[in-house]
Parts: sequence; C-alpha cells; structure tokens
Amino acid sequence: MSASTHGHGTVLKHHFDNLEQQHSAERLGMWFFLVTEVLFFTGMFVAYTVYRNWYPGEFAFASSHLLWWVAAINTGLLITSSLTMTLAIRSAQLGDKAGLIRRLLLTFALGAGFMGFKAFEYATDYHEKFVPGEMFRTEYARPLAELTADDAKRKFEGRPALTRTEVESYQFKGEYEHWSQDLAKRNYGREPATEGTVSPERVQLFLCFYYIMTGIHGVHIIVGLGCILWLVFEAYRGAIPREAYSKVEVISLYWHLVDMIWLFLMPLLYLIRSGGGQ
Amino acid sequence: MAHDPHHNPGDPPTLHDVDTVSSVVTVYAVVLALAVVNILLTFAALGPMALPVQLGIGAVQACLVAWYWMHMRRGDTAVTLSAFTTLFFMFIFFVLVLADVLTRWRAAI
Repeated sequence: MSASTHGHGTVLKHHFDNLEQQHSAERLGMWFFLVTEVLFFTGMFVAYTVYRNWYPGEFAFASSHLLWWVAAINTGLLITSSLTMTLAIRSAQLGDKAGLIRRLLLTFALGAGFMGFKAFEYATDYHEKFVPGEMFRTEYARPLAELTADDAKRKFEGRPALTRTEVESYQFKGEYEHWSQDLAKRNYGREPATEGTVSPERVQLFLCFYYIMTGIHGVHIIVGLGCILWLVFEAYRGAIPREAYSKVEVISLYWHLVDMIWLFLMPLLYLIRSGGGQ
Repeated sequence: MAHDPHHNPGDPPTLHDVDTVSSVVTVYAVVLALAVVNILLTFAALGPMALPVQLGIGAVQACLVAWYWMHMRRGDTAVTLSAFTTLFFMFIFFVLVLADVLTRWRAAI
C-alpha cells in the first residue's frame, strides 16, 4: 500500500477490527507511557518535598532570587501552546490540512519560545554565578570578605562592630550579585545554623533541584517539539487524513502532560516567597 | 463506552466527537486565569497556606486539562483507570517516603 492512498485500507491496520478500536488502542498506548512519565517526575517531586520540608528557609531564599517573571511568561507560552495543540486536533478531525499545519507550527513556535526564555534564564543564572559549586562559593565569599574587612577597620579605629541593623542596611562598595549580597547580610555575624541564618550549602541543594527538574522538563519539551515537527511533515505530505487524526491526538496527550508538569513545577520552584517556606 | 447507533465505528470522527472552539478556548481562559492568580497570590503573604493553595490551583488546572483537552471526558474506561492508577501510585510514593522522613527523630538538621 502506498502512503498516498488514504482510505481505510491504509489508515486502519490489519490487526484492528475498526478505526475506533485502533484509535482507542493508540490513545491507551500513549496514556501508559504518560503513566511512566508521571512516575518519573514523581520521584523528583518526592525528593523535593523531603528537602523543602527539612530546609524551608533556604528553599524560600533561593526561590526568591530566581527569575519568576521568566517563569510566568513561560507558563503563558506553554498553556497557549496546549490550546493551539488541541485546536490542531480539531483541524485534523475536520480534514483541514492548512489549519492543522498552521496550528502545529504555532504550537512549535510557542514551545520554542519557552525554550528560548529558558535558555535566557539559564544564561542569566550562570552569569550571576547562581549555580551550585565553586562559582557559588567564590561569589558568596566576596561580600562576606568586605563585611569582615569593614568590621576589622572599625575595630582598628576603636569604633563598635557592625550591628545587625547596620549589616542589614549595609551598602556594599564592591560589585556583587544580588543573591550573594543578601546571603552575606543574612549570615554575617551569626553562628552557622542559628535562627535567621541561611545555609549556603542548602541553597545550592535547592539549585540542584532547580536545574535538574527544569532541565529534565526542558528535555521533554525538546522531544515534544521534535514530535510536533514530525507531525508537520506528515501533515504536509498528506499522511494525516481525517481518519488518522489520532496521530495528532497522541502527540497532544504527551504535550499536555509536559504542560501539566510545568503547572506544578513553576509554583514549587519559583513561588515559594509568599511565606510558605518560613 | 456507549456507542452512537448511527455512527459506524469505522467511520471518520463525526462532528460530535470534535471539540468546539468555544469549549477549548474557555478552558484555556480558565487555566490561564488560574495561573495568573497563582502568581499574584505569591505576593499575598499567605504564610503556611501558600503551598496548599498553590498545589490546589495546580490540581484544578491539571483536572481541566486532563478532562477537556486530554479527552478524559470521552469515558474510555482503560484511560480513566490508567489516570487514577497513576494518582494511586503517586500517593503510595509520597506516603511511604514521607512516613519515613516525617517520623524520624531529628537532633539537629
């Protein structure tokens, strides 16, 4: 059979009785895969839950220094891409090839926009050294060193040491990242692990969760974009007649799941600041 | 699953299987509005209630997406079972791990 003939003989596979049964099987196959994907992410969410429960202050601190406005834009892009993907199914069901290709390309553009903002966000975080490891530790040490030097100078001049209020309103002379200034102000002059302090190691732990969870989500977005491009190619060559709309539907099921995961990921990583972490 | 007696299972989708534009766009508007609410509530200082509220909003959004856009409302029994089985396994995952973690004696973590 050639791909250019699109009656039931091509779309309906020989081991199915009818198209409805075939479509049901296709949907169920994708749903079974989605079950495994959800459990995959559940592992990360469980681990996140444990550590957020143990270190709420550090998680809230780190979250408050992420680019929440980028996450907000990304949320809008992803929800809109789910809309266009659902409308693409409708176009496929109605046999509207041009509409199908248009809506698939729109979905792709929105998903690519998401990844573009994600790349900008990662680049900004990297530039600000808000990355777990040596860069973080080095950047954190810099404002602390200035505070220590200032205190030493005061002591040499016979003046009292910096009070807590002075530390909190301290204007740094050097150029340091916003998060390292805040972290230094929180911890300077306090014993580690006492009330009010924020452990830099646990902040880095949050960052590990942030990069791994959003990174793996990003990989899923890229895979989804590849599948959407494949659909565009299939639609362009006429391989998605009305009877084969389920090709679009199964990819849309995957895309909606990736969207749903983001709807939970975003508030858990970016929106801790409203006091839920303290 | 109930079958339309006038609809041969081998026929292409009839118009009653096709989502209307208005239903799709309505769900979109609600899900987007909930996302905006979620973000704005971040600045509302909800305290300990922040997390349950955020997760509740996320759950409502997920239910809307699953029910309307992922076509769970079609009533495929196997699909519905798969979805609820997923939730059940997630529940077990969270409960067993948190039952350990939350009942540990923590001297100073």
